[in-house]
Amino acid sequence: MARGTTRAARQKRLRNARASLILCGPAVVLYGGFIVLPAILGFAYSLTDWTGWTRTPHFIGLDNFRELVRDTRLFDAVRFTLFETVLIVLFFTFASMLLAVVLDKLRVMKGLIRGLFFYPYVLSILVSALLFQYMANYREGAINTLLRAVGLDAWTQDWMGDPRLVPYFIFALVAWSGVGFFTTLYLANLQTIPVNLYEAARIDGAGPFSVFTRIQFPMLLPTLTTNSVLALITGINLFPQIVVTTQGGPGYRTFTVGYYIYHLGVLNNRQGYAAAVSFATFVALVFIAAIQVALLRRRQVSL
Amino acid sequence: MRKRRIPLLEVLMLAAGIVFVSPCLLAVLNSFKTLREIVLTPMALPESLTLENYVYLFTGVKLARPMLNSLLMCGAVIACLVTAAPMAAYSLMRRRMATGKVLRVFFLAGLTIPFQIIMVPLLQQFRMLGIQFTYFALLVHYVSWGLPLCIFIYSGFMATIPKELEEAAEIDGCGPVTTFWRIIFPLLAPCTITVVIFWGLWIWNDFMQAFIIMGTSKGQLVFVQLWRFLSDKYVKNWNHIFAGVVVLSLPVTVLYLLMQRRFIKGLTAGAIK
Repeated sequence: MARGTTRAARQKRLRNARASLILCGPAVVLYGGFIVLPAILGFAYSLTDWTGWTRTPHFIGLDNFRELVRDTRLFDAVRFTLFETVLIVLFFTFASMLLAVVLDKLRVMKGLIRGLFFYPYVLSILVSALLFQYMANYREGAINTLLRAVGLDAWTQDWMGDPRLVPYFIFALVAWSGVGFFTTLYLANLQTIPVNLYEAARIDGAGPFSVFTRIQFPMLLPTLTTNSVLALITGINLFPQIVVTTQGGPGYRTFTVGYYIYHLGVLNNRQGYAAAVSFATFVALVFIAAIQVALLRRRQVSL
Repeated sequence: MRKRRIPLLEVLMLAAGIVFVSPCLLAVLNSFKTLREIVLTPMALPESLTLENYVYLFTGVKLARPMLNSLLMCGAVIACLVTAAPMAAYSLMRRRMATGKVLRVFFLAGLTIPFQIIMVPLLQQFRMLGIQFTYFALLVHYVSWGLPLCIFIYSGFMATIPKELEEAAEIDGCGPVTTFWRIIFPLLAPCTITVVIFWGLWIWNDFMQAFIIMGTSKGQLVFVQLWRFLSDKYVKNWNHIFAGVVVLSLPVTVLYLLMQRRFIKGLTAGAIK
C-alpha cells in the first residue's frame, strides 16, 4: 500500500516536472540565453582588451575601469546625458501632469484631443526624427521658412547644427514623441479620484488652483513616482534618437553615454572597453533609480 | 456663464493639439509636392498633386519587399510571444514550483536591462552560432527581448482568473499543459490583444535593434531600408522622405484611428504600477 502511493507520488512528480519543462522551458532558454547571458558576458568582456570581432580577448583585470575614470570624452557624454535627463524628467513629470489636468477638464471632443496628443507615440522614432530634422533644417526647414516669411530673418537659427541649440533640439524630439504616453498615465490616475472629493471642494468654494494643489496633486503622487522613474530610464538610455539625427555631432556635442557605447563597441571595435562603460552606466542607473524611488516614496507617505 | 467658458477651453486645446501634430500634417501635404515646391513654399497646398514621390518609393527605394519582411517578422515574433510568455506566466503564478519564486525575480530583472549593455556580447554570440546578420537571429533577439515584459503583463492579468476553474479541470484529469491550453489561454484573450498591439507596433517601428543585429548588407525591414536610402546623404530629398514617412506610418495610423482606446491601453500596459 505504502509502496503504491510512493510510486504514484513519484509518477506525479515526474509528470509535473515535465509539464514545468514544457511550460517554462522555451521562455527560460530564450531569455536566459539571449538576454541574461549576454549581460553577464558583457561583464566578463569588460575585463578584457578585446578589440575587433575576430581577435581573441585577453584578460587585463580592471584596466578598462582605470581608463574609464580618466576618460574625458566619457565625462562629456555623461554630462550631456545628465543634462538631457534632467530636462526630460522635469518635463515628463510636471508638464505632462499639467496637460493631463487640463485634458481631464474637457467635456466634448475629449477622445479626439487626447488622441492628437498621444499620436506621436505610435510613430517610429525614425519617423519623428525625420520630421524634426525637416522642421529644424537651416536652409529648407519649416521653422526657418516660416520665420523668413513673416520677416523675422534675424530669428532664424541652425537649430540642429548650432552646438548651443542642439541639446534642446534632442530634448524637443524626445518630449514630442513621449508626452502623450506620460499624460495618459496621469489621466488614468485622475480617473481614480473619487468624485465626492471634487464635490466637497466645490461646496467649500475651492477654485481650480486649490483643487489642483489640495486634491489632484497629492492623489497623483503614485503616478508621479512611476513617471519620473520611467522618464529617468528614457533619459539615461537616450540613444536611438542620436543615431538617427545628429550622430553625436556637431563635433562630439551630442554624444550620450548610450551613443558612446555604440560608437566604441559597434563602430570602432573597442568591445572590451565598451562593455566596461556599459556595465558602469548600468550600475549607476540602478543606483540613481533606487535613490529616486526611495525619496519619492518617503514623500508619498509623509503627505 | 459656465457654459460659455467651457467650449473655449476645448477649442483652445483642439487648436493646440492640431499645432502639436502639425509636423505630421506637413509631411502628408508635402509628400504630394516636388522637392522644389517643398523648399520654396512648404506650407502652401501643392500646385498640382504629384504621385511621383510615392512611385519612387516602390521603384527606387524598393519598399514593397521590406514591407512584407516586416509584416512576416511581426507575425513570427508575436506567434512566439503569445505562446511562450503565457505558458511561463501560468507556470510561475499558478503551479507550486520549487523554483517559481526564483524564476519570477529572474524574469523581472529583464525589465531593467537596457539594450546597450547586451548589444556587443549578443552580436558576438550570434557570430559564434553562425547566424549573424540573419532574420533568424533577429527573430530570436526580438522574442527574448519581449519575453520579460510579456510575462509581466500576463502574470498581472492571471491574478484576475479564478482558481476554481483549474481545480475543476484537474479533477477531471487534465494535466497542467492541457489545462493551460483548454482553460486558461482562452481567458487570457484581452491580454493577448494587448501584447499583439504592443509588439506588433514595436517591431514594425523598430529601427535601432534591427539595424544593429542585421547590419545593412542583406534583406531588410522597412525602417532600416528607408534609413539606408534616404538618410545617409548630405542632400536630403525631402519629397521622398515625406512619402516614405507617410507610407510607413499609414498602417499604424489607420489602426490607431480605428482602435484608439485599445491602442492607448495596450501601449501603456507596460508601465509598471
